[in-house]
Amino acid sequence: MSHAIETRDLVYRAGKDFALEQVNLRVPAGAIYGFLGPNGAGKTTTIRLLLGLLRPAGGTVTVLGHAVPRDVHLPLARTGYVPERPHVYPMLRVAEAIRLHASFYPTWDQRWAGELLDLFDLDGRRPIRGLSKGEMGKLLMLLALAQRPDLLVLDEPTDGLDPVVRREVLMAVIEYVSETQATVFISSHLVHELERICNWVGVLDRGRLVAELPMQSFKNGIKRLRVQKAPAEAGDTPFVLLARESGDGLSAGEIWIVRGWQAPMQQYFEGVGATLQDVIDLDLEEGFVELLRTARSRRTRPDVS
Amino acid sequence: MFREVLYTQWRWSTLPVILFTVAAFGIPLWAVQRAGLAAPLEADVVRMLEQVRAVGVMFPLLAAFAGVTLGALAWSPDTRGGHVYALSLPVPRWYYALLRFAAGLVLLAPVVLAVWIGGVAATAAATIPDGLYTYAGTVTLRFALSVLVSYTAAFAIASASRRTQAVIGGAVLAVIAVQVLAVMAGVNLNPIRWLMTVFSWPGPFHVFGGPWMLVDL
Repeated sequence: MSHAIETRDLVYRAGKDFALEQVNLRVPAGAIYGFLGPNGAGKTTTIRLLLGLLRPAGGTVTVLGHAVPRDVHLPLARTGYVPERPHVYPMLRVAEAIRLHASFYPTWDQRWAGELLDLFDLDGRRPIRGLSKGEMGKLLMLLALAQRPDLLVLDEPTDGLDPVVRREVLMAVIEYVSETQATVFISSHLVHELERICNWVGVLDRGRLVAELPMQSFKNGIKRLRVQKAPAEAGDTPFVLLARESGDGLSAGEIWIVRGWQAPMQQYFEGVGATLQDVIDLDLEEGFVELLRTARSRRTRPDVS
Repeated sequence: MFREVLYTQWRWSTLPVILFTVAAFGIPLWAVQRAGLAAPLEADVVRMLEQVRAVGVMFPLLAAFAGVTLGALAWSPDTRGGHVYALSLPVPRWYYALLRFAAGLVLLAPVVLAVWIGGVAATAAATIPDGLYTYAGTVTLRFALSVLVSYTAAFAIASASRRTQAVIGGAVLAVIAVQVLAVMAGVNLNPIRWLMTVFSWPGPFHVFGGPWMLVDL
């Protein structure tokens, strides 16, 4: 099994205003896959489809080698899930929620659950409805990790958490992954958070997958180029031209946003009679914004690099 | 797994289960007390039986109320959470529903048992006139069946999607509306009577009907 998660032409519609269209995800086994997208892009809906919580209108979903939703209980036994909103029963105490959860998972590691309880400074006697947002986030992560899953599906797991708790939660994930080689599928709209931990990234916008590539390519490949005497038609470029716009006032040239840039490609500009003045690195967030801007302006097909 | 599901269901059903159990124990005692069987001054059998019958109405009411309450409570935390927790558990959906259903039945067992204990205790302490007999076991059996029927119906409706629940509610309202319109138009149409066939044999709610006599001829 080379992919822990694979969707083919996944389609889902919710009312008239929202649809997932032809989403083709491929999450390599063992990857820490950041699922990026602005609010309302369809990240949570996609995750719910992956876990069989929703039924797709079309396409196929395979998780850990099993067809979803048909055989969903099989991958769920090996999947730790942290939902966007807390899903545990609020009238229980922390220890009771842990006992209930543990009873469903044959791989549950009670010793480690105890260690995580101490690490996260959670009191088993506390009622769940009295937990703070940070404590709830830690409890959900404990429940997901202590079942020793092969796949962790984390839906905005640190949203609303303070930096200290966020760090604790992400550190626990990283330690687990380094120990087990589990696959992590983590959604977020916080680009910098994923930049530090992910080695793959997929970008969803308005229900469409607009990019899926190794994080390194994403980080290094998106550049802002300052071009003089730019040709009217870019023609066949060796890089992916995401956007071109007039200069920023410092020069009369153009600004090109490109992906897949490598230094030898500057020969292209010589070939078309243009001059490449400057190559500027974009950080991940800028790259993310440019990617979305381009996708929205062109409404291009999902671009798998 | 079942033990934990049962425990969690008990956590959010504790108060209703205790109240229903107390009521179930008290109704037979009340029936005997009201009929004057505890210390009969005169053997007015007809009046006694009328009183037993009057209080006996409480048995099906309690059975319906307990069944519906526990049936709805079985799903209420899942419903509030959009069923996300239940659906993300690694068991087939029918199995999870079975666990919840069975847990609710176990929680109803003390209520049924209380009817039997209350019935046996009340009739044992009473002075039963000649020609009358006690039916604690029969009443308990009917009570158990009534609880089962009402619990199953409520459990099924509570486990359905909001859309299905709306369809069921809409269908009932539509029958009532048709009935009202038929009466207003003077048309010989009685859809509510069709609806009520579930309370007559072989309808599933037939067990609720008829007198519930703890003491009878």
